[in-house]
Amino acid sequence: MDYDVLVVGGGTAGMEAALSLGDMGYSVLLAEQQASIGGTMILLSKVFPTLDCASCIATPKMAAAFHHPQVTTWTSTEVDEIRRDPDGTFRASLTRKATCVDPAKCTGCQQCELACTVAIPDQFNFGLVGRRAAYIPFSQAVPKKAVIDRYGDSPCTFACPAGIKAHGYVSLVRSGLFDAAMELILEDVPIPGCLGRACYAPCEEVCSRRELEGEVPIRLLKRFVADRYYAAHPEPAYGAPEQRRDGRVAVVGSGPAGLAAAYDLARKGYSVTIFEAAEQAGGMLRYAIPSYRLPNEVVDRDIANVTALGVEIRTGHRVESIGTLESAGFDAVFLACGTSRDRALGIEGEDQEGVVSSLAFLNRVNRGEAPDLRGKRVVVVGGGNVAIDSARVARRLGAQSVTIQYRRTRDEMPAFAWEIEGAVEEGVSFEYLRAPVRFVGENGALTGVESIDMRLGEPDESGRRRPVPVPGSERISAADLVVTAVGLETVSDLWAGDPRVGGRGTIAVDPLTLQTTILHVFAGGDCATGPTSIVAALGQGRRAAYFIDCLLSGRPLDGDGYDHRLAPVSHEVVLGRQASYRTAPADGKRERPGEERQHDFTETELALDEQQARAAAGRCLDCGGCCECHQCLKACPAEAIDFSQRDRVEQVHIGSVVVSTGFHLFDALRKPQYGYGRYPNVITAMQMDRLLTPTRPYDTVLRPSDGRIPESIAYVLCTGSRDCGVGNDLCSRVCCMYSIKQAELIMGALPLADITIYFIDIRAFGKGFDEFYEQARSMGVYFVKGRVARIEEAEGDNLALVYEDIANGGKVARAEHDLVVLSVGLLPNQDALRLFSNGDLRADEHHYVLEIDEDQTPARTSIEGVYAAGSSAAVMDIPDTILHAASAAALAGAYVERLKA
Amino acid sequence: MSEERRDLREIVRDEMLVRDRVLAALESGPKTVPEIAAELGAPSYEVMHWVMAARKYGYLGESLPTEDGYYRYTLKAKE
Repeated sequence: MDYDVLVVGGGTAGMEAALSLGDMGYSVLLAEQQASIGGTMILLSKVFPTLDCASCIATPKMAAAFHHPQVTTWTSTEVDEIRRDPDGTFRASLTRKATCVDPAKCTGCQQCELACTVAIPDQFNFGLVGRRAAYIPFSQAVPKKAVIDRYGDSPCTFACPAGIKAHGYVSLVRSGLFDAAMELILEDVPIPGCLGRACYAPCEEVCSRRELEGEVPIRLLKRFVADRYYAAHPEPAYGAPEQRRDGRVAVVGSGPAGLAAAYDLARKGYSVTIFEAAEQAGGMLRYAIPSYRLPNEVVDRDIANVTALGVEIRTGHRVESIGTLESAGFDAVFLACGTSRDRALGIEGEDQEGVVSSLAFLNRVNRGEAPDLRGKRVVVVGGGNVAIDSARVARRLGAQSVTIQYRRTRDEMPAFAWEIEGAVEEGVSFEYLRAPVRFVGENGALTGVESIDMRLGEPDESGRRRPVPVPGSERISAADLVVTAVGLETVSDLWAGDPRVGGRGTIAVDPLTLQTTILHVFAGGDCATGPTSIVAALGQGRRAAYFIDCLLSGRPLDGDGYDHRLAPVSHEVVLGRQASYRTAPADGKRERPGEERQHDFTETELALDEQQARAAAGRCLDCGGCCECHQCLKACPAEAIDFSQRDRVEQVHIGSVVVSTGFHLFDALRKPQYGYGRYPNVITAMQMDRLLTPTRPYDTVLRPSDGRIPESIAYVLCTGSRDCGVGNDLCSRVCCMYSIKQAELIMGALPLADITIYFIDIRAFGKGFDEFYEQARSMGVYFVKGRVARIEEAEGDNLALVYEDIANGGKVARAEHDLVVLSVGLLPNQDALRLFSNGDLRADEHHYVLEIDEDQTPARTSIEGVYAAGSSAAVMDIPDTILHAASAAALAGAYVERLKA
Repeated sequence: MSEERRDLREIVRDEMLVRDRVLAALESGPKTVPEIAAELGAPSYEVMHWVMAARKYGYLGESLPTEDGYYRYTLKAKE
């Protein structure tokens, strides 16, 4: 056996059972799902009736259990399943949840929590105050180690092909940490300025907020961050890394894929040279995207992020063969030469003057050699983003009319909807279900387009319905310029002529490593995938860099450790966390008016200002919990943060099981007539206990509505106890006494406050309990015998209690207080009943773990070798819990002895 | 308090967005929660969350209570 006994739950009962068993010499595994042991007791102010400090009693127990040589404690651990073997031993499966913190290094200094940018309600303060996603559970936590709530990847981060931590920089913008946001983006990619303008933003498509009023404008936030940073930093603030590595890498092509690969490799210390056939670097970023969407100066500044690392870009240098690079002594080559040629339509008249390809057209304009289209009639053929760009550029060049002919309908159009809308606003007209059949000309010059109507037939291999010509519908439209934009293709001369690679079209690569058939030659981006997107190409470049580094550093290219992503958190889970959402109008499009913008090449899209950016980022729902902003990584002096941690499933073989899973507090929301969750000044007794603890969140007792010291506090006993209406007819045993305890403590903290306890009957059955009650009465606590029917809000955030005044003939009475405490009951925690997969851990009629022989062998359950401790079997106070746990420990020890005999 | 209360998670999440404004409101001198709320144009019970979080993380401290039962919060010098 791995351990003699598994104790499930590290509260008062679990700790006591573990200590007792450990002291008897048994090896114990204590499994606790929270990040600290201590259960509910450590969160209390004092205990009744002695008013001893709960922390003073609990913390020594916690430390003793945690440091006991016979006790192994696993916090943040879920017990998934326990099976009983035929020999009477047990096998348990436990999941040790990743905390993203190395406990051996963490010193509990809390620097990570102070730096964290995600605020979450603090469950250990029952929502009275927030905590951070990176946090230490509470001051007396054992172990006092930070943990990070990471529920999975946020959908936006998960969706980014380039691995940009979108949630992270959104969270940093929300916090006003704009430079940190830029630095976070630059951890992954060098071209935030371009992405902030021209990325198609797959992050936004999966944003959970989209399910409400609309997605967070993540791309625009990136632009805001980049623009602000670049304004302050005209040049990069860094240089080449000091640590150099052996290895020279040639990158062919300076588009997004090439830049990303060069950036990652240079940061690792490799010597990188980019070869670019064009006069300037940037590829499609510079030559294909119109400057009203992406100004060249932004491209330049982004590229400076790469060259600052020492990357050399040789422009105007066309690489003729892979062999020339090998001969030049490069240890690895990355081919990222994109798709630099338009597909031809293959129809009559395509070669005549007045018919140009979209790339040639856009390239010429971006080089500053724009044709004068004033008064001209322009027809653009195609339905993708390049077609839209061409049309919008033509408008800006003064064209009299611009018409896009597309052979399917708008629904099938691959261009983004907002691009289409933008074109419409700028006066571009669309002819859907229409395709050219020939270009008409005179003397070698274009005069018109003969086109034909189409109808949609059966779906083709792309899933879109195939356009079918409608015979007899041909007609000729006058045109002075036709721009064809029906797709791009790669120029494969570089590898087609190499016998080791060969093949026309896109280059074949291993999809994991992007390695070609030549060991040290990799290829990625559009030349390997066909036309995709900037961000997908960046992802390809980063992938290639990773595996080139593996190759050059002698590590296996098996991909182990490449993809650090967790599964994305689903929208259902995210949206299910809140009962309601307050929505704001969606940000919508932010563009200059169409009439104004169609006449110039000034940027079309309006940037966010600081206030708008923070407000937009503030709509983020923190889907994944931790946003991976990496502020904790920077702040941790012990380098304890470890995002590579993953949940681990452990199998253990044990002799016996002690179930000490405790209780649940009654959810006061189930008594809507009391207004909890609706009126800020209705709180639960557990919240009041937190307000009274030495580590209290407000430093005193204050009204949550406005921070005023309360003057008249009411307690409503039996909230969720002795109440068939909520399915709990049991008395919770402790509510009368803990309420009296709190009343006495409040009288000490707020001597001028009046305290009234509304009760049905006071149950003061334990040693010293009745005296405690009498003491409270003598101190001036009012006791009113009367069941509270409902609570209404009165003036000044006060509360009116409507109750049955039993002592005065049962009349309905009304009393006003400025703070109401609901003395919530305790309910069974039924989790333990589901743990045993091949045995029936039976429950009693109240759903607590059944003690099958309560009178003679308390703690014994329906499964031999399994024992219930503390409130898993019935609600009980702390002394009874200790006794009960000791009983369970004794029985478990005896059972193990029988196994060993 | 006639308006619908926002979900707790939403209020707490806003802490990171609003903290600078809360601190800015105190630059002119110590204020109570209702006074900060008035300056921010936000409900007092929401401001209470943000003030207490700022207090928890060492941005704020409180002085002795006023006669009408409110503490005034004041900026704390960061180490």
